[in-house]
Amino acid sequence: MARSGDTGHGPVVDHALVRAHVVAAFVALLLSVAFGIIVAEQLVHPDLAADLPWLSWGRVRYAHTQGIMLGWLGNAFLAFLYHGVPLLTGSRVRSTRLGWWLFGVWNFAVLAPGWVLVLAGISQPLEWAEFPLPVDAFVVLGLVLAAVQFLPPFFGRGLEQLYVSSWYIIGGLIFTLLAYPMGNVVPELVPGAQGAAFSGLWIHDAVGLFVTPLALAIIYFVIPAASGRPIYSHFLSMLGFWLLFFLYPLNGTHHYVYSAIPMAAQLGAIAASTLLGFDVILVVANLLLSLRGSGLVPRDIGLRFVATSTVFYLVVSIQGSLQAQMAVNQAVHFSDWVIGHSHLAMLGFATFAGLGGIVHAWQRLPGARYNARALEWGYWLLVAGVLLMFVDLTLAGLAEARVWQSSAPWLDSVRAAKPYWIVRTLAAVPIAAGFIMLIVGLMTGARGAGLHALPAAGLELSPESGVAPRLAPTRAEGVA
Amino acid sequence: MNARHARVVRMAYLVASVAGVAFFAMSVALLGIWPGRVLEAQSRAMAPEHVLTLTASEQRGREIYSREGCAYCHTQQIRYLHADMLRFGAPTLAWETRLDYPHLWGTRRIGPDLAREGGTHTADWHFAHLFSPRAIVPDSVMPRYASLFDGAADRPRQSARDLLAYLETLGRARELAGPEGEAHAREACDCAGDEMRTMALAGTTPLNAAPARPRPRGDAPEVPVVSDLGRGRALFAANCVGCHGVTGAGDGAGAATLRPFPPNLTEHTYTRTRVVDALWNGVAGTSMQAWRDYALADLAALADYVRSLDATANGDPVAAQQLALGADVYAANCVQCHGAAGDGRGPAVAELRIAPTDFRAQRASVATAVRALATGVAGTQMAPWTDRLSDEQRVAVAHYVRSLFQGDGGGRGGDR
Repeated sequence: MARSGDTGHGPVVDHALVRAHVVAAFVALLLSVAFGIIVAEQLVHPDLAADLPWLSWGRVRYAHTQGIMLGWLGNAFLAFLYHGVPLLTGSRVRSTRLGWWLFGVWNFAVLAPGWVLVLAGISQPLEWAEFPLPVDAFVVLGLVLAAVQFLPPFFGRGLEQLYVSSWYIIGGLIFTLLAYPMGNVVPELVPGAQGAAFSGLWIHDAVGLFVTPLALAIIYFVIPAASGRPIYSHFLSMLGFWLLFFLYPLNGTHHYVYSAIPMAAQLGAIAASTLLGFDVILVVANLLLSLRGSGLVPRDIGLRFVATSTVFYLVVSIQGSLQAQMAVNQAVHFSDWVIGHSHLAMLGFATFAGLGGIVHAWQRLPGARYNARALEWGYWLLVAGVLLMFVDLTLAGLAEARVWQSSAPWLDSVRAAKPYWIVRTLAAVPIAAGFIMLIVGLMTGARGAGLHALPAAGLELSPESGVAPRLAPTRAEGVA
Repeated sequence: MNARHARVVRMAYLVASVAGVAFFAMSVALLGIWPGRVLEAQSRAMAPEHVLTLTASEQRGREIYSREGCAYCHTQQIRYLHADMLRFGAPTLAWETRLDYPHLWGTRRIGPDLAREGGTHTADWHFAHLFSPRAIVPDSVMPRYASLFDGAADRPRQSARDLLAYLETLGRARELAGPEGEAHAREACDCAGDEMRTMALAGTTPLNAAPARPRPRGDAPEVPVVSDLGRGRALFAANCVGCHGVTGAGDGAGAATLRPFPPNLTEHTYTRTRVVDALWNGVAGTSMQAWRDYALADLAALADYVRSLDATANGDPVAAQQLALGADVYAANCVQCHGAAGDGRGPAVAELRIAPTDFRAQRASVATAVRALATGVAGTQMAPWTDRLSDEQRVAVAHYVRSLFQGDGGGRGGDR
């Protein structure tokens, strides 16, 4: 009955494509982090850009966020999909040739030209949608290619056989395709407040329908695959999945609380944001219960990345529900508090999940180098950097909000934020160092050391048993 | 899993899948399309009959604003909150954004909201500020946009002019609609029970609360009599040195391209009332913005610090004959603008962009007054008088206007 059990993960995973996307992901990550450091540093030394228009704050910020979302996370997710989809379905992805086309489109028709264009001043001033319209067309093409590449294997068998990661992958790919044009094109066509309503939807869908599902797909995959234990409850997994997909799209308007957008829409979005917090508690509880007592988190670095990501996910989601409430929103909206929130989401939750997926896949890549010590350093540096940045920006936001609520002059809020901006820039040191150590960890060390590291970590993993059967509790029961 | 069980699970997933798509469609319908229709109808009903569209220059300016990410530090959206309204004015109504493709609402404020920026600063100020923000606002973190200029703040390229033209449109539509527009909107709104829109149209909310926007002279509130000179010095260093210079000599980093030049504070004796007025109201028509967002105690401290910069000598007594000549010259040439009493309220004032000097409230040093008569004051309607008045006449009238100074007590001859 099982096609995957006997093939293992060896022949069906397209290793070259995993490798290519991992490399592209880290190249995009380093550049995006560099962009982030440039904008952070400009708040401390505003004359840094030296009158070079393509280094000026606004343009580099566009390049930073688009690079993180599409370049870093996009490639990291694709790398994981080439590893995970064959193992989840027991089938190859559609085609290697299509894979290289997708790789080319995503990196050389979306990311590279997108960056060049926004830095050259050709862009649209829409959050998480700054790449100009021609580039958007290639993003949509890339998403279509990804759907063609990764979705057919899932439909080869009954829906009831799908593990929760599969659902997240299917949902993420399809709904991103639906949501992307709405956020990137519609506000160009409908004016002002009306367009802002659509922007609000996309700002949240970008995180909720693209980043979150694929990050959760990785977390749900890596936990059982690395620990050798099934997920705590398949039922809770599926309940969490569907609630997320029902609620996420309904959150968008919480970005414009107290705006001209009809209050009924604002209140609806706030209600959905509140409910979403409860659903995330359910999802995270299910994930953490799966790890309970395994003792593996300290020993397997990929697993540790996704477990940490899970904790960040809980914190950032509860925070999200909280700051959507009108009483909180009226104080902290527009402040660095929100910048802290988005970094906890993208750098804490999503990036840690992506790294967990990459490390997990890399360990199992034949002949790949692996340096456990460097990875260990990378992990701790990143944890320190993310926490420092998050706490610092949250405090900065509170300091700004305090000035804004008073009758003090506007500039006092800038003055109040300056010390925090210095600390935020300093937080870039452990973050950048952490990423560099991770790259060192994947590029040095003995070939195949990743796989050898696993039994020492107490995991049972052999080409015969594979990991796929452990992913689907229903099938595991069937086997038993 | 038996076949029956599998069928049930499959059905459940199918239902959920359909529901998932339905929820997404619902989000678009309820949070995108429906609010859009409401806003569209509201905009059409509440907008004044004629809303100015952007000129080609303003549109190009908007594109510069967009590509440089200005909206990522400056929102264009005043929220329905008292904290926002006190700072920036009436909340943004949907119709005000009706021509924004795409919207520039923004979700982050590092700099102030700009929804009602038009009319707040002069072109000189904007150019100096865009060219080198910290030359004007020492603590600013805004990027420099020197590439919009040909090497100097007073040599704007077309792009800088376009951007300025766009900035001047911000808030314009609502302002131009005037009280009739507000009345029309209130009527069309039919917003009894709608707390938000009632707030947006409440007559008590100033349309533009911008604390930097200059107002005509007068109506400054009483400030505390006792002030803290140390605090004044600190405030001056943090806010004023960009234009007025570290010593107050009017030679700050941003001063060179401002017309009129910032006055040399060391060469003027001001009444306290005059300085407080200039701080509270700004000096309309010049780049001196208002500072109404500072506490009155701060304005008092600043006023006293500014007065302490005065280094003019009281000078030798002036011969009565010279004063009489000055009075004659003044009566013949200056009263049209400066007024018979020297209070800056001559009959021609209504025609003037910048209010003439009130000689009762400020006294320049002899040298400064003579120089103003010889060269005029660039950027104001004060012309050079060398072609009409002899050297002797100019010196005499300089002494005469100095003699008009009354001081804070109202008594003639000085306030020390």
